[in-house]
Amino acid sequence: MHKFKTLIIKDLWIYKKSLLIPFWITAGFYILIILSFGVAYFKGDLNFNMLDIQEASPLSAVNYIVNFAIVWFPGLMSLIFTVMLTQGALNEDVRKNCELFHRSQPVSVWYRTGSKYLTGIVGNWVVLLIIALFNFIVINIILALFHQCVFSTAFAGLVQSYISFIKTGLIIGSITFFLSVVFKDKAFLQGFAVLLAVQILFLILNTLLNWKLPLPLSYLVKLLKTTSIEEFEVDASIEEISNFISRNWNAILFNWKTLVQLVFSGVLFAGATLIYKSKEIK
Amino acid sequence: MSYIEVKNLTKYYGKLKALDNVSLSIPKGRIIGLLGKNGAGKSTLMRCLLGFLKHTGEIEILGETVKSHKESIHNHIAFIPDVSCLDNRLTVQQTIDYVSSLNPSWNAEKSQRLLANSDLPMNQKVANLSKGMKTKLYLLITLSLDVKILLLDEPTLGLDIVFRKEFFNTILGEFFNETKTIIISTHQVEEVEQILQDIIFIDEGKKILHGDIGELKQKNSVFTLPSESIEELEKFKPNIINRTLGRVSAILGNDIQIEGAEISRPSLSDLFIEKVGGSNA
Repeated sequence: MHKFKTLIIKDLWIYKKSLLIPFWITAGFYILIILSFGVAYFKGDLNFNMLDIQEASPLSAVNYIVNFAIVWFPGLMSLIFTVMLTQGALNEDVRKNCELFHRSQPVSVWYRTGSKYLTGIVGNWVVLLIIALFNFIVINIILALFHQCVFSTAFAGLVQSYISFIKTGLIIGSITFFLSVVFKDKAFLQGFAVLLAVQILFLILNTLLNWKLPLPLSYLVKLLKTTSIEEFEVDASIEEISNFISRNWNAILFNWKTLVQLVFSGVLFAGATLIYKSKEIK
Repeated sequence: MSYIEVKNLTKYYGKLKALDNVSLSIPKGRIIGLLGKNGAGKSTLMRCLLGFLKHTGEIEILGETVKSHKESIHNHIAFIPDVSCLDNRLTVQQTIDYVSSLNPSWNAEKSQRLLANSDLPMNQKVANLSKGMKTKLYLLITLSLDVKILLLDEPTLGLDIVFRKEFFNTILGEFFNETKTIIISTHQVEEVEQILQDIIFIDEGKKILHGDIGELKQKNSVFTLPSESIEELEKFKPNIINRTLGRVSAILGNDIQIEGAEISRPSLSDLFIEKVGGSNA
């Protein structure tokens, strides 16, 4: 484990800048909001009536929806950065001419790929968690001041949204990680182009010859789709919200699809490692 | 016991035969020069020894069979390649920390001593170092490892003569002893001639010669005659006859006697040209 820890530290040194970018974007976003409010306040344009908000009937649903939604922006950023980091995971050292140096170290290939996989995927989960928690604190202070903060509902919204994103990140990250061993550069774009071409070809064949070939992109979209809050009603009671949250746990986490997603990601990681291991080092 | 045993090693790049049935036995405590023209198969041989390339034939390093890349092999072998392959994204300090943490054979005391005598900027990114500095860093890392075999593949390519001398002196002084083996692949034959004990000539993927340099030099001599006496040399059918400034010379066995010929000891490059031919040694 000591060697694995060393590899993780090394990968964090290398990808530190990329992992920190979402923090800077979030900080910039907050500064922009504060500046906008400041300018509006000093210009006298900030004329909403706080009493309207405070007198509105407290809705527990607001706590859930707001906290579910605050993860979306950092969540999307996290997915983009997961793709950015994992698409170079197994080909960047070759492009940077340092593959020989790293492969000359007495360390297992599984440790090497594992470290890159974790840095690219789990690294972004951690970044997302920190930003989501920060947003959670800010938003819920505002909610508590002007409306009502039901901590359990709010936290459930945050956690369920976070889990949805990290599952999507795991699948997308695993796919791009696998593509990084197949393609030498721009693995995500090249892989997507190949999948799109196969999709179109299969669609044409299915239409012309009445075949039933499986469509790869449709399968991936199906696999990525974790949950939705379509059934949710904004004016639901606390009890209804509570039931919804329980049901949503099953939809998001405790189901067969999660197991399929985990196995799918694991297979992609193992496959990528085996291909990487079998490649010659020139 | 041999440190390295190679039997019938063959390697193809597509249709090109880069190594052709090479067999070698390399014992401990030797400094071996691997000489060959460009594209002769020197780097391919080294990379096969490290398990980096797929091959046919057998390779055994310290009794362990090498078929593909194996973690355990790198506990015993250090390798300096022809191009700087350090990670430019790390700093000097991070590079040293990384290698020292991964290698059980890291000698911290030696590393500290070598660092104290070096002028490496520890917080500088490797990308910002000069070629000479990068080689110094690679050398420091390699010499800090207590390994049994050191493979050097054109390690001083593109460096100035002072640095090249310093490089080989440091290797001799800090690394070599009777329990270790060094294989050096280089074009700068004259610079390593004095430190080599054995020589391997390789051409078009084939091993042409493998032997003790001292013995080879003792068995052969350079015979030089005026140009008009060329027939005297041709009688013995040497592989190559050199013509320079109205004189002809060839390498022949020591048992031969030619009247009026000047006899001198052959250099490594003389032997190489005689065995392999061409001028691209």
